[in-house]
Amino acid sequence: MSSPETVSLNIDGKDVTVPKGTTIYNAAKSVGIDIPVLCHLPGLEPVAVCRICAVDVGARVYAAACLRQAEPGMKVKTNTEPVVQARKTLLELLMADHPVPCEKHKELGSCELELLAEKEGVAASKNRFAPPPAPRKLDHSAANIAVNHNACILCDRCIRACTNVKQNFVIGRNGKGYVAQIGFDNDMPMGQSSCVSCGECMVSCPTGALTNVGFEAHLAGEKVDIEWLSKLPIFQGISAAFLQRNEGAVVKRPFKKGEIICREGEFGNTAFYLLEGKVDIFISSPVQRATKKDTRSFFGIVRKMANRLTQAGRDTEDPERMKYIPIDATVDLHLGNPTAQLGPGDLFGEMSALSFYPRSATVRASEDCVLLEMLRPVLQILQKNPAFKKEMDLKYKDRALANQLRSMPIFGSLTPEFIDELRNKVELVKYDPGTVIFSEGDPADALYIVRIGFVKVLKLFPGGELTLAYLHRGTYFGEMGLMGEMVRTATCTALDHVEVVRIKAVDFNLMLEKFPQVRAEFEKEIRNRQEQTKAITQIGQTSDVTMRDFLDQGLMKAQSLLLLDLERCTRCDECVRACADAHDGITRLVRDGLRFDRFLVATACRSCTDPLCMVGCPVGSIRRRNSLEIIIEDWCVGCGLCAEQCPYGNINLHPFDTREDDPDHPGMKKAQVRNKATVCDLCTEHEEPSCVYACPHDAAHRVNAQEFFTRHYVGTPKTAAR
Amino acid sequence: MPDPHQNLVSELSRHQHEHGYLTDTAIREIAEKMGLPMYKVYGVASFYPHYRFTPPPKAVVTLCRDLSCWMAGGGGRLKEMLSTLPDVEVKEVSCIGRCDAAPAGTVNEIPIRLNDYEQVVIWAQNPDLLEPPKPTSTPNRYAVDPYNTAEERYGAIRACLKGERTAEQVIATLKESGLRGLGGAGFPTGLKWELVRKEAARPKYIVCNADESEPATFKDRQIIEEIPHLTIEGMILAAFVSGAESGYFYIRHEYEKERLAMQSAIEDAYRRGVLGQRVLGTDFNFELSVFVSPGGYVQGEESALLEALEGSRGEPRNKPPFPGQKGLYGQPTVINNVETLAMVPCLLQKGVEWWRAQGKRGYAGLKFFSVSGHVNRPGVYLIPMGTTIREFIETAGGMKDGRKFKAVLPGGASSNILGPDKLDTPMDFKAMSEAGSMLGSGAMVVIAEGVDLIEAGANITRFFRNESCGKCVPCRLGSTKAVALLEDFLAGKTGAEKLQVLEDLNRTMSLTSICGLGQVALGPMISVLRNFPNEIKARADRAQPKS
Repeated sequence: MSSPETVSLNIDGKDVTVPKGTTIYNAAKSVGIDIPVLCHLPGLEPVAVCRICAVDVGARVYAAACLRQAEPGMKVKTNTEPVVQARKTLLELLMADHPVPCEKHKELGSCELELLAEKEGVAASKNRFAPPPAPRKLDHSAANIAVNHNACILCDRCIRACTNVKQNFVIGRNGKGYVAQIGFDNDMPMGQSSCVSCGECMVSCPTGALTNVGFEAHLAGEKVDIEWLSKLPIFQGISAAFLQRNEGAVVKRPFKKGEIICREGEFGNTAFYLLEGKVDIFISSPVQRATKKDTRSFFGIVRKMANRLTQAGRDTEDPERMKYIPIDATVDLHLGNPTAQLGPGDLFGEMSALSFYPRSATVRASEDCVLLEMLRPVLQILQKNPAFKKEMDLKYKDRALANQLRSMPIFGSLTPEFIDELRNKVELVKYDPGTVIFSEGDPADALYIVRIGFVKVLKLFPGGELTLAYLHRGTYFGEMGLMGEMVRTATCTALDHVEVVRIKAVDFNLMLEKFPQVRAEFEKEIRNRQEQTKAITQIGQTSDVTMRDFLDQGLMKAQSLLLLDLERCTRCDECVRACADAHDGITRLVRDGLRFDRFLVATACRSCTDPLCMVGCPVGSIRRRNSLEIIIEDWCVGCGLCAEQCPYGNINLHPFDTREDDPDHPGMKKAQVRNKATVCDLCTEHEEPSCVYACPHDAAHRVNAQEFFTRHYVGTPKTAAR
Repeated sequence: MPDPHQNLVSELSRHQHEHGYLTDTAIREIAEKMGLPMYKVYGVASFYPHYRFTPPPKAVVTLCRDLSCWMAGGGGRLKEMLSTLPDVEVKEVSCIGRCDAAPAGTVNEIPIRLNDYEQVVIWAQNPDLLEPPKPTSTPNRYAVDPYNTAEERYGAIRACLKGERTAEQVIATLKESGLRGLGGAGFPTGLKWELVRKEAARPKYIVCNADESEPATFKDRQIIEEIPHLTIEGMILAAFVSGAESGYFYIRHEYEKERLAMQSAIEDAYRRGVLGQRVLGTDFNFELSVFVSPGGYVQGEESALLEALEGSRGEPRNKPPFPGQKGLYGQPTVINNVETLAMVPCLLQKGVEWWRAQGKRGYAGLKFFSVSGHVNRPGVYLIPMGTTIREFIETAGGMKDGRKFKAVLPGGASSNILGPDKLDTPMDFKAMSEAGSMLGSGAMVVIAEGVDLIEAGANITRFFRNESCGKCVPCRLGSTKAVALLEDFLAGKTGAEKLQVLEDLNRTMSLTSICGLGQVALGPMISVLRNFPNEIKARADRAQPKS
């Protein structure tokens, strides 16, 4: 074996002998001379773009020590006055454009540029160069990493980290000259790019250009060892340093058999990943509705009305109604027996963690088990991680997709074999809040089923726009376009963190071909939707009037107002009684509300054009029927989110007593007060709403707001004056 | 073997040629088709000025903003006049190499003169009125063309292939003649060819740099149009000497007429059997094709040019290694300027003695010079090395309208500006360097009294700022901050004493920039400050007229 070739050179007066191919930087390091660098990071291939390490090798121009290889007899000077001056001028140039202190320096005091400038005596206050003409943009689209181009020095470290270290191929340099900057994919916001949130770029960034989005919260529970964590298959490929920075956002939680992990209806902001053991996931709230009944007090003296529960009548017959309750986990629950079991590798609470929605179900340890509880940042790192995503996709396709398809009446006749086949063809697609999934008029190429989050369905009409629905987990959209003229008939937007199952048009068509009953169901559905559209269009055509008062009170959003004509109303409350009679003793109407001219707009559901109440229901129990009114299904878990969301206070919660397992005393029951929400359903099973029918003075009217006010007020001096 | 005509730049150019611009979808599709990450496709597309991301209007009018055109009044009011027209886009661009017809511009890439504003507006509204120019049919005869008739062409390479002249002899002749790179850097040609010949790696490549983009430089334009066969033969000889089998003629996209001339000359050479497989029946193979640059001055820097040929962002490489060792696709590559290559056949055919005798005052050879600015007959002249600046101005018809000489840039926008005291400097590499400037690309800009040299220096600095690729810190930030400072000074927002910062900045940029662009960017401005100290005072006097 021959000894490796060596090179001898002289650095700052010291003779150095190093193996051939050694860079000047490394050669200097071997004799204790530290040449300052910025763009160089040991472990990354040197690019020599910052030129901070420029040293005098006796040539016309300086050499970049990080890249230039030592040559025999080379005389290197790293610290002469001209070398130091050039380095200082370069630092001064960089500092002229640098926000001082940058995010990283502010928080951690570790911006490499600012530290080096300080060390070399380059004071920000004495900078001789002009500041940048205009600030560059900030990109906060990614969940865990903030991008601040102002702090970027274009050292290319993130680019090399992304492509050479992690092989993710997302970050590059865009543009040319002074306007050049780093970019993601096709110059996309980072959050919308193909970035997998591995964090390697951020860990490599010398400045505050790529920083961890601050997350101070620390979860209670057993602190996890990051090294152990990064070895879990689901955390594969994620930079350990990145996990370190999110250390407080993930904990290990052991539970004993029978312990409750989370409870339906409670607000939560974490997701759970099951490492060991099994858990039961179920809805403990009875699938019933609140009604009134007479009760007597213990002594039988005081008679009072109390809420109780009954099985719903008409809703169970509703063909639109689903057979499964969509919950925030990798399974759905059957309406008849809302309980299921989860095992190692299962995840639940994604929606709670991402969008702070109430828990959709109660989870109880069915044996001793260990879970990872995580806050949004960690969940989002995971969700972007290909290894984890693959596992979750598989799980979902294996278990929940079939349920989800079967839970929708329209897919009732699909055979398990076909679902098996479909499973391999569908894609799971994620959308960030606010992303348009498709727009009205776009070519139709797929059917979507909502897996996570809410999708807003909006249609444009001559008089404005109408939110047809907020679709929750277990609902589908996109069928109208596929079966009609192959263009989208409404615009669908992700309201929050949305994940959908995408069934390509070709697979959808195959399904219709194979299952005539599914086709028939879809055709029926489409006829219904067309009726609905027609009805709305008629409303829309009369809506060219705008009235300030009206708008001010938010009345314009209403499609169906209960108006009490105060000139006729005798305040007899017949309407309120009639409502209670029609709804198992619980009134959904209060004779109070806003006044407009001689009308009182009673507190009763207005079936708004933009029904905000529907957003966030963790179990999808509030929905708009094809006939436009809003109903609440019996599996409501009483979290109260819809009541909170309704801007007009028209959804009420009715408390009732129930007996449930006592978490403190396993095996025992204890009394528990729970709630159910109610909302005016326009009495659609009757000719007209009971309240209107019952009014003996013809003072109550259910009207379409725009239509009514157009008819009554167009041309009056009040509106004409506008 | 990788093929530049199949690379990302070619793919983007083809797409834009077909569809007029690049859409987001196009970027995605190209990435998918070529198996490249999306960032790479977008990174390349957004680097080159030739690519656009919006549909092109009926007419795109460009106005040259650089030195010679600027001195001729530039676009003047045109920018305002054109910007109100419907379906017309107007933009200022860097030198398009038409400085002899200053102020110059283009309408839909067809070169025009901007002096008649009304006419330009008519063209902008009716771009179809303009005919794409064709190469001239009656080219000049130059002394450096050793062939009296078209039939005699390619005699030098014939002699080599017949065994009458060996590769070593070619190298010896080049060395003896002292021929140096005529693109600006002046590296000895014989030595370059010899270095590549000695490299063991195969394949090797020959690249001709026809990306002439330095303000006021347009001599290559004329050589390509009129004597392309000499450049082609120079490339074949380089291949013969170095052992390369393929070559690329890299031409700037603004030279469409010249590209056509080169294309037909290459076809002619193929017909004659001096290009292709088994050249003239021997074992020597050499394939040559034209590659059109997607734009940008920095592409003229040889390693940046190679990056573009490889389909990447055209950013200069760190050196060493030099292209002779690791050039195109990391292989040994001879890369020479159009004129350098065109001189080789004549040197071989007419001999070193003849060559030496062409010079004046003891300097050897002939050289093409472009001259623009305040002379009566701007254009391209083949003149003896050693001709003085004063003599050359006379050759170009003397000072324009008899105006008084003030200053001169003897070697393009990156050469230092000299005053009247240097008028008798012989035009030669060494003499020019001794006088404090350089021969550079052989592009002389003559400046008459009346021009504010601070403004001129700022104009040149702005050019380098505009053309900086942004790869390294000194050039990207240094050029930007220098322009900001100069503009503040010109606007009266900052005092002359502040300009001293430029000295320090210039030192840093010339010592630490990766390529020549950053190294020389502030040179001309500094030379104004040093050689014309009165300019600052004159400005101050003008700003505060005595009452």
